[in-house]
Order: sequence, then structure tokens, then C-alpha cells
Amino acid sequence: MKPLDPRLLRYARSARGYLALTVGLGLVTGALVVAQALLLAHALGSAVAEGASLAQVAPLVGWLVLVVVLRALTAAVQERYAHRAATRAVAQLRERVVAHAAAVGPRRAAPGDPAGLVTLATRGLEALEPYFVRYLPQLVLAATLTPATLCVVLGLDWVSAVIIAVTVPLVPVFMWLVGVMTQGRSERGLATMQRLASQVLDLLAGLTTLRAFGRERGPVARVRELGDAHRRATMGTLRIAFLSGMVLELLTTLSVALVAVGIGLRLVYGEIDLVTGLAVLVLAPEVFLPLRQVGAHFHASTDGVAAADRAFAVLEVPVPEAGTRPAPDLAHGAVRARGVAVRSRGGWAPAPVDVDLVPGRVVALVGPSGAGKSTTVEVLLGLLAPDAGRVTLVAADGTATDLADVDLHDYWRQVTWLPQRPVLEPGTLAEVLGAATPDERDRAAALTGLDAVVASLPDGWSTVLGSGGTGLSVGQRQRLALTRALLRPSPVVVLDEPTAHLDAAGEQVVLATLDALRAAGCAVLLVAHRASLASRADDVVHVASTPDAVTTGAGAPTGDPGAPR
Amino acid sequence: MTAPAPLPAARPAPGTLRRAVRLLDVDPRRAALAVLLGTLALGSAVALAAVSAWLIARASQMPPVLELSVATVAVRAFGIGRGVMRYLERLVSHDIALRGMAHLRATLYERLAAGSPQTLLAVRRGDLLARVGADVDAVGDVVVRGLLPAAVALTLGTGTTVAMALFWPPAGLALGVCLLAAGVLAPWLTARGARTAEARGVQARARMSATSLGVLDDAGPLAVSGRLGGELDALRAADADLARAADAGARPAALAAAVGQLAVGAAVVAALVTGVPAVGAGLVSPVELAVVVLTPLAAFEATSLLPAAAVQLQRSRAAAARVLALLDAPGSAPAPTSGPRPAAAAVDLPTPGRRPVLVATGLACGWPGRPPALRDVDLTLAPGGRLAVVGPSGEGKTTLLLTLAGLLPPVAGSVTLDGVPLSTAGPGRVVGDVVMTGEDAHVFGTSVLENLRVARGDVTPAEATDALRRVGLGPWLAGLPDGLDTLVGSDARTVSGGERRRLLLARALLSDAPLLLVDEPAEHLDAATADAVLHELWHAPATRQGTARGVLVVSHRLGPLAAADEVLWLTDGRVAARGTHAHLVAHVPDYGEAVQSEQQETS
Repeated sequence: MKPLDPRLLRYARSARGYLALTVGLGLVTGALVVAQALLLAHALGSAVAEGASLAQVAPLVGWLVLVVVLRALTAAVQERYAHRAATRAVAQLRERVVAHAAAVGPRRAAPGDPAGLVTLATRGLEALEPYFVRYLPQLVLAATLTPATLCVVLGLDWVSAVIIAVTVPLVPVFMWLVGVMTQGRSERGLATMQRLASQVLDLLAGLTTLRAFGRERGPVARVRELGDAHRRATMGTLRIAFLSGMVLELLTTLSVALVAVGIGLRLVYGEIDLVTGLAVLVLAPEVFLPLRQVGAHFHASTDGVAAADRAFAVLEVPVPEAGTRPAPDLAHGAVRARGVAVRSRGGWAPAPVDVDLVPGRVVALVGPSGAGKSTTVEVLLGLLAPDAGRVTLVAADGTATDLADVDLHDYWRQVTWLPQRPVLEPGTLAEVLGAATPDERDRAAALTGLDAVVASLPDGWSTVLGSGGTGLSVGQRQRLALTRALLRPSPVVVLDEPTAHLDAAGEQVVLATLDALRAAGCAVLLVAHRASLASRADDVVHVASTPDAVTTGAGAPTGDPGAPR
Repeated sequence: MTAPAPLPAARPAPGTLRRAVRLLDVDPRRAALAVLLGTLALGSAVALAAVSAWLIARASQMPPVLELSVATVAVRAFGIGRGVMRYLERLVSHDIALRGMAHLRATLYERLAAGSPQTLLAVRRGDLLARVGADVDAVGDVVVRGLLPAAVALTLGTGTTVAMALFWPPAGLALGVCLLAAGVLAPWLTARGARTAEARGVQARARMSATSLGVLDDAGPLAVSGRLGGELDALRAADADLARAADAGARPAALAAAVGQLAVGAAVVAALVTGVPAVGAGLVSPVELAVVVLTPLAAFEATSLLPAAAVQLQRSRAAAARVLALLDAPGSAPAPTSGPRPAAAAVDLPTPGRRPVLVATGLACGWPGRPPALRDVDLTLAPGGRLAVVGPSGEGKTTLLLTLAGLLPPVAGSVTLDGVPLSTAGPGRVVGDVVMTGEDAHVFGTSVLENLRVARGDVTPAEATDALRRVGLGPWLAGLPDGLDTLVGSDARTVSGGERRRLLLARALLSDAPLLLVDEPAEHLDAATADAVLHELWHAPATRQGTARGVLVVSHRLGPLAAADEVLWLTDGRVAARGTHAHLVAHVPDYGEAVQSEQQETS
């Protein structure tokens, strides 16, 4: 990322106002710094050179006090709004990343690293705070205060201005030079450091295993050696890394020293007056201060900048265009997939497959794990666009609409999906279930075995579930979700391995629920691992993965030949 | 496997940081050197300002140029000194911190290795790595970013104040007061602000994390059930609460920034206001006035670092509490009177050719402080025996293995090795006879051979190759670029789940222990390979001492259990049925059905 990435302002709106405020305060600070230097120089100069009394310098001192108070106020306002803006900007970025990832699907948003996406959204982006609170204001000051003070110095004494003006560009040039010369070495050093550090952590992570074999004592010496080697490697890197900091300090301090000596020597010959000399002396360090601060805060902000870069990468994954056509009434229609296939690492999972969901029939998807059963479900639900084949929604009169053109919310209203780990909203059991009458509720609960679960809970139907159904086991949550599906039957019901967390008795419950859903006229899609479950289905679709690219529809296992058309 | 780790309290106990810093074992001479160099570096800046002020004020009186030569040289010397001293100070202070961190890590390793196994089992792996990694770093950081800057600010502040007081006492006094405001009051306010934001934001942050995780984990189901919008609103609300917490903390921070800025101005104005009449009264020379007025402008650099140091101190304190919790966990350190354990272990080493017998009687097992996961288990594992434990997940099978291996104490009942309870048998003795290979056993980031040598230090390449062949990894080994010397990534990211399991199994087979406890050796394997691996395990070779192996396997594959002497079928936290495979198929309907469905899937 550049020092100030325009994307940051685009995606985090609150950063714009903050940047404007920071620039404004930067200009005010510049004016105050110059005013303070001039007032101080005049007051001190007249006292030193002319022996002015306190009464004579009192007006100047009065103005000086005002400037000091205003500088303190500016600093307070900057700090006050920096924290606020940082939190808001981080929140805005987070919300965008989470919403965007949800829209494109976490798998597409962060290919290969869905866990990293969570870390990025929660902790990673927080690292932007030092960037906003410390780095950005100094960057702005480097762009406002440095040139402003330099101009004033130029107006006062061009010789000093030249000394400073020559040094300012040297700062980045030398830092760049040092950086280039040391890059190779420090990269090698960094790699060594990381390797050594991970070896220590590796030994600790494996301590239980070492202990299981009674060999936990051997590595104590090794941990010490590794720690020592890590220190030496790190110091080797730091010796070089700190060089750029030293160059920065040397150049800026030496420049100020040269300015002071130059003024002193010219004062002796009366080429310059004391007040001007004092003003330049006070202003010279202020020219360099923002540059030094930018250097000091640069490292603290790099983590945040890297996190922002990752966030932008997520936000730039295009969102598939949403369909707009209304979904047909699926209670009298069908969902039809033909030759649907999805690319996976080095092949297809699933390889082309046909599925038909029609009212009153149960279709089972079977196949080994990794074959793409859950992916097929995602394609059928419109959550994932297939790489081959198409899914259509067929109305009662036979008109077929491509799922990609359908308003998905309209489609999803007609779908109940029980994923392997049911997602429940927080609330009491009764609220989550949302049954019309207790009678209806009890009947459904008896069928799914939820009644036994409720009986075992001290608060019964009033048991409060946390977000995600905490308070219940996965199996109990599944029963709850099944009961809900039964109470409010949707035209399409998708059950993903509903028996995965249930024992044999639980499986009977699922089978009974299945029959009830079929009787209610639902089109049921079942992802089944167990043969006993698949044997209850009206149609069985075999899903398989193929290791390499296949031509669509040819030679790959397709839907059960007996599937209804 | 996620027993609650002892969480540090919200406010760590007083003295936490002091204890942790003491564990860094900082060499006082090095620390003194770092403070000296830091004081010289920032002192150069102050001296530069003071000498420049003197130079310019004196020069304006147009003395002979020679009189200024010392000052002009000094100004340049201080200009160079600052950068060089600062460079050296950074090197010395980082060296101190790195030494301390290495020492603390080694101490942690040592104590955890010598302490009770439960401590390690009770901390989640990610959490353990965080504590040994980032938290130890945070404790080390306190030296570089907290303590040393504070010491430098104190030394330099005292020095500058005294120097100014020598010129003109009132100016020195004012400077001292202002330095105290900038160096004590401002950091205190900043730390308070950070603490306020942290404390007020704790709940909002937890909600924010949970909601983000929920949306990212279950985006599909939430979208289909039409609840995605609501969850995103909840995230927005949590973030708004976080922003309010940050706002609350920003107020003291803003005040601190104002105090810091005001202190510099006040010191300058005070010197000016008291100094000008003093010049008139002849108490102070005009040149000295310039020095006492302008020096304060450079004197606050050391204190300006302290607000950040105070926040660092707070962060490090929380990290220190987490690190100390690892060391303080019950049983994590051997009692000082118990004597060195290695000696005990050496005495307990099993004699070659022993035939140890592991017996569990009325055993209930579970995590300390929780209801037992499993009760009333009776079993006997002797050399040559083949036992299998099966049942639905979550029935405490892994807990049973941990208890049988002596890594968890029994909740009730007993586990004895040759009639001696495990707890009194001595750890060296137990691991010599009983080795457990868990689901989450570690594959180290080193070569394949070294990973196998974890079982026994003197495994030869031939023995290693043989063991890998036995578990069906012969073709895998042949395909490795450097054979046995091929590096496998840390935690074996370069090997597949099935290969990892078999590598762990090969390791167990290479140990000298006659009794093996193996958790799910066939997971992540296709049916045919899984059956072959289990078959190999039932026919595990005798130890080098010639003792036949006794094997206890937890397995979800049922077919290969036909070769077991006895199968324990767990349901509802108890042994629901036991007997040979054939007996269970015939008499336990659930077991029979499970075997049937497994066969259907395989066919």
C-alpha cells in the first residue's frame, strides 16, 4: 500500500472527514509553530540584546501563552478525533469485508484461507489503529508543517534555508540507499529468525507427544540453543535495520547543528541579527520533526497497512450479478439441475451431475466424502455458480427460468435448509420453533424426538438459546431444526447429513420426519452418508469427483438413470 | 479436549509484571549500559539545544571568534553523538530483551516438561503457542518500550532540571514540575484512557468477534433463511458500541496530549517570565537567559515517549498474567523438596523383557472439575492382547486413553500397572511400558527420520523404513525427494491427514513400550487402507526385547475388529456391551446395524 491509499478513503468513509480534519489541524499547527518561534525569538532577543524589562516583553509573552494554549488544544482535538476516526474506519472496513465475503461466499473471498478471513476481520484490521492515530497525522504534518516552516526560514535567512533544504531530500535518499544495501541481508536474517522461532514453538507444541514417549527432557538444552541462535540472528538483522534510523537522526541533527554554528559565526560579524538567528534556531528542528516521526511510526503501522491491503483484495473480488426475475411457485414446480459440475483443486467435485427436486419426492445425494455433495447443495441453492451445466426453476406450466436470473431471496423464501451444523437464532426454544399452537408443537416434537430433549431441560420450552444454539448439543440442535422444518414445511427442504450426530434411535426419528415431509408435499433433498437413510429416498443420485478436467456431460457419472424427468 | 484454562482475572494481580520481568533474568550491567547510552543520546539533543542557545546569544555580543570555537565543535559533536548513541542504545536494549525472552521461553519449556501433564492438556494448542510466542514477546517488549525509556526519562529529566537550576533555580524548578506533568500525569491519563476503552469495549468486542465469525462461517445458511441482513445489523451495532468505548477512552488520551504539549510551553514561558527580571537584577547573564529559555524546547523528547510506554506496560501486564498462569497452574512445577525427577525416572526404567499388565478397575474418567465422560470401565491389557473401544463420538474415548496412559488422573476407580497405581508408578516407568498415540499427536518440523526418532533416539534408517512399510507408507516414502531425510512441515502441513496418521502409527510401533494405546489410526483413510492399517496393528511386531505387543485401539471402522480379543461398545457414558466382534454383531442390534451400513458403503 502507498503511504496513503485512495482505496482506504473509498472504503472507509469516516477516514475522509478525519483526513480533512487532520490536514486542517496540520495547517493550524504549522501556523502556531511559526508564531511560537517568532514570538519567543522577539521576546528573548530583546531581553538578551537590549536588556528589555518584563513589562516591555509582557505583550509578547501574553501572545506566547495564547499560542501555547492553542497548540495544546490542537493536540487534544487531534488525539480526541484520531481514536474515534480509527475505530469507525476499522469498523466500516470490517463491515464491508464481512458483508462482501458473505455475498461472494467466504470460499471465493479468501481462497484457501477462510480462517484467515475471520482473523483479518476481527484482529487484523484493528492493527490499522496506530496507522490512523499516529502515522497518518505525522504524514500530513510532513506535507504541511515541513514546507511551511522551511518557507518561513527562507524568508528569515536564506543560508540556513539552503542547509535545511539540502538535507531534507537527503533523508529519503539515504534511507532508501541504506534500505537497498541491507535488504538482501535483512531478508535472509528475517527468514532465519522466523525459522528459529518456529522451531522453538514446534518443540513446545509437541511437548505432549514428547512426553508420551518419555523424551520431554532432551530438548531443554535445544530450546536454550535455539533461543540463543534466534537472538544472534535477530541482532544481526537489527544492526542493519537500525542503520536507517541512525542515518535519519544523524542527518537531521547534524543539519540543525550546522544551522546553529552558521548563525553563530555570522552573528559575530553582524551579518544577521539576534532575533532572526533565534527564530531560525527554534524553527530548524521543527522542519525535521514530522519526518523523524513518520520514520518512527512507520513500523508500527505496517501491520495495519498489510491488513488493509488484504481487506482491499477481498473487497475487489467481484460480486456475481444478482438475478431479478421472480421465482416460480415451487410447491407446484421443480428445481432441475443438468450436468452441474464445479472445479476443485486439480479436477471436478462434483463431476457433472443431474438432480430433479419435485414435490412429494425425496432425493438422496450419496457419494464418498470430498465428492462434492455439499457443493452440489450450494449450487442448487444458488449460493455457488456452477462451472459447467445449469440449474433451472421450473414453474407448474413448464416454463423454466435459469437460477442465475432469479431473485434469490424470492427463491430462498421457499427453501428450508438444514446444514450439518444447524444455525439457529438466539431466543427461547418456543420462540425459535415459532409454532402456532402448543398442540401442533407437541405433535411435531414427538415425531422428531425434541420432546425428550425438552423434558431433559430444567427450563423446558423456556430454555434460552444463545446465538448459534449454544446450550444444546449439535444433535439436539438438529432435532430442533428438524421440528421447525416440519412445523413450517417449505416447498423445498434440504437436509445435509441429518443423522451425522444422532445414534440409531435418532436416525429413526429422521426417517419418520422424512416420511412426514414427503406426505406434506415437500420436495426433499437429502445428503446421506448412511445407507439406511439413502434407502428411504425415492431417487438416489450418485455424486463423484474426477481427478482431471472432463468434457461436460461426457463419460462422467450422472444422476440415477431412474430419476424422474 | 478443551478443558477451561485458568483465565487471568480482568485486572492482573499486583506484582504480576514484576514477577514476569524477573523471569527475564535481565543482567543489571547491561540494563545500566542501555540506560546510560539512552541518556547520552537524548542528552546530546538537550545539550545541542543548550550549547546552540549559548553560542548564538554569545555570538550576538560579537566576541572574538576563537572564544566560540569550543562551542561550535561541541554543537557538531552533539549533533553526531545523538544518532550514534541512539543506535548503540537500541542495539543494547534489544539484546537485553531478546536474551530475556529466550530465557523465559526456556524456563517455560523446562517447567512444562517437568510439570503435570494436565497443565499442557488443559491449554488449547493455539492458546499455548500464543502464550509462548506473542505473550513472551510482549513481556520482553516491556523492557525496550516501557522500563528503559522510563529510566532514561528519569535520569535525563533529573539531569536537565539540576543543570537548569544551576543557572537559574526558578527556571529549573519550573522545568522539573513540567517534566513531571509530561512524564507522569500524561502517561497516567493515556493508560487510563486505554484501560477505559478496553474495559468498556470487552463485551462489544466479544459480540463483534462472534458475529463476524458467525456470518463468515454460516454465510450460506444465513442468506437462505433470510437472516444475513439481521446479522450484519448486529455486527454494525456491536461496532457502534466499540466506537463508543473508544470515544470514552479518547477523552483522557486527548487530555494527555494537551498536558504533554502544555508542559513544554509552560516550561519555556516560566523560564522567560522569571528570567527576564533576573537579568535586569543581574542575577542571570543575558547569555544564560537564552540557555534556560531555549533548552526546555528539547528537554521533553524523553517524556514524550512515556504515554506509549504506559500503554505498553499495561499490555505487557496482561500478557505476563497469561504467561504466569502457565507456570502457576497446579502441578506445573515440581515441589522443590521432591528431588530431581530425572534420577527417579532412571531408577524406574523398565527391565528388558518385562511383561507389564495394565488393569483398569471401576474406572471413571473425565476432565478434572467436570462430570466424568465415562464410568465403570473394567479392562485388562497385557502383552499380546488386542482390545478395541468403539462408540459414537463424544463418548470420552480419547479421555479414556489419556487416563490409561496416566496423563489424566482417574475420577474414580483405579488404573494400575503391574498392580501399582499409575500415579505412584513414576512417569518414567509408565512411558517405558505404555505409549499413547493420540489423534492430535504432533509431527515436528524436521525430517521423517527425526520424527520417528521421537519414539526412541537410536532408530536406524533400516528400522524406520521397515516401520513405514508396515503402515503402508512404503510408496509414499519412495516418492519423497530425500527419502527419510525429507523435511515435513511444522505440524505436517506437507503430509495429508491419512499419511500423518500412519506416520504417527509408525512412530508408536518403533517405541520400546510393550503396550500401545492408539486413537483412531484409520481416520482420513479409505476403507481398504484403513482395514490394512488396523490389520498391521493387530499383528504389530514384538518389542526389541522380545515382548509381544498389547494393543488397545479406538476405532470407528468396525470390520477389522473381528481380529480383536474383545470389543468394548460404549453408549451413554458406559460400556453398553462387550465381547468378541462376532458376539456383538449377533447380540447388539445397534452394533450389527453399524457393521452392516459400513459394509454397504464399502461395497
